[in-house]
Amino acid sequence: MSDAKKIVLAEDNSTLSLLLKFRLEKEGYKLLIAADGKEAIELIGQHDPELILTDIMMPFISGLEVISHVRNKLNKQTPIIVFSAAGQEEMVLKAFNLGANDFMGKPFSPNELVIRVKRLLR
Amino acid sequence: MKSYQYFIDYFKNAPAIIQVVWVMIVLFMVIITILIIYLKLLRSRLRKNEKIVAQYQNEYESNLITYLYSGNEEEEVSAEQQLIVDKLKSCVPDKFKRRVVVSTLLRLRNEISGEMAESIQKLYFQTGLINYALSSLKSKKWYVVAKGIRELAQFHVKEVNDQIVIHVNNPNKEIRKEVQLYLVTLFHFEGLKFLDVLQTHLSEWDQIQLLEVLQRFDEQEIPNINPWLKSKNDSVVIFAIKLSKIYNQFEAKDTLLELLEHQHKKIRVEAIQVLSHLQVYEAKEVLKNKFNELSLEEQIAFFKLLENVFESSDETFLQEHIQHKNFEIKVSALKIFKLLNIEKFHSFKRLLSAPKDAEIIEFIENN
Repeated sequence: MSDAKKIVLAEDNSTLSLLLKFRLEKEGYKLLIAADGKEAIELIGQHDPELILTDIMMPFISGLEVISHVRNKLNKQTPIIVFSAAGQEEMVLKAFNLGANDFMGKPFSPNELVIRVKRLLR
Repeated sequence: MKSYQYFIDYFKNAPAIIQVVWVMIVLFMVIITILIIYLKLLRSRLRKNEKIVAQYQNEYESNLITYLYSGNEEEEVSAEQQLIVDKLKSCVPDKFKRRVVVSTLLRLRNEISGEMAESIQKLYFQTGLINYALSSLKSKKWYVVAKGIRELAQFHVKEVNDQIVIHVNNPNKEIRKEVQLYLVTLFHFEGLKFLDVLQTHLSEWDQIQLLEVLQRFDEQEIPNINPWLKSKNDSVVIFAIKLSKIYNQFEAKDTLLELLEHQHKKIRVEAIQVLSHLQVYEAKEVLKNKFNELSLEEQIAFFKLLENVFESSDETFLQEHIQHKNFEIKVSALKIFKLLNIEKFHSFKRLLSAPKDAEIIEFIENN
């Protein structure tokens, strides 16, 4: 388990976080859960994860700010997948401009997320 | 004791107005103190409730996740899943707990799709939550009915369609709105069939919400909108006109042309605007022939249509209106002229020499 690849998940919906934690830990990853962008930035700084999953709309610090922090402040190329709700197309474009690698529109299939995570961590 | 007596004497000897002010001060102080105590109690009650909700939510969240991951292919419901179903079933008769269970299920149902979303719906049936939503449809309180319908829509319960449709013409507009959203969310364009029987007004806000739901779906094949364009309910006609514009319903062209004779001006104007969007040339001739009978709004809409479908044969007609007293018509006529016959357009500089007209011509020339 100590060799497991670390993933930081920033999501304010605790039920979804729990579901994704179960699903991705089943696949052998170690999940670090943040309830908002602020916690996500702290976890990223402390654990240097191999992948970041972040929702765009979150309290305190948004997903866009998390991406900007990773790319511009930490200067890291950690793969980032963003989650967005319907009607947030412009936000998704901003996320890509800031350096996000992939996005999934909500509602999404957890199985599809696993495939994308595996592809990015190959 | 002395000072107490001093205040009594002071109050007794004070003029009436001072006495009233003192009474008011004391009264307000008492009220403020009571309110502060009440707010403190209310806040602590709310905090306590929040804590309880969070506690139940955590419990139900882990139950839900366990349920979702403990299924197997051999059994429809595994033993572990059955335990969770039984546990949740025992919680749902309690209104407070039921609300937390429903919100927990919905929090996940709204975020995920695929097999897991179906499993959540299955759990909604297995725990008997659906029965509570169905019984709320019979309530005398409008907000209970509306909430029940919304819940059934959120859980995508299509099977109870018949029980929902009967509320299409409910006197309460919130219930009607929820019915409409239920039908469109679950049955997409097919759900719009409620328009066939809708007798009440479909407000602008209702229309926006329906269109917002419809634009989420990939399928763009919409049913025949002609019957709605012919509806006796004007708001349905206006909504159908919007649909014909958004989904480019060129097939409805003939019915849209008939709407040019509709008794309501708003519908006639909207019909002209859609015919303009669809670039229906036939509309031009019909409107041109009765231009002077049209209202000003229709005339303006017609000129906007003309901007899309003008031909060289329209030159004489346009020339008659370049000096129209309405600004928008004048601008439209000149704009078309610029595209149709640039030499003639330049010749208007002499004809329209008033400073305001010169400004219009200069603007059109440079844009």
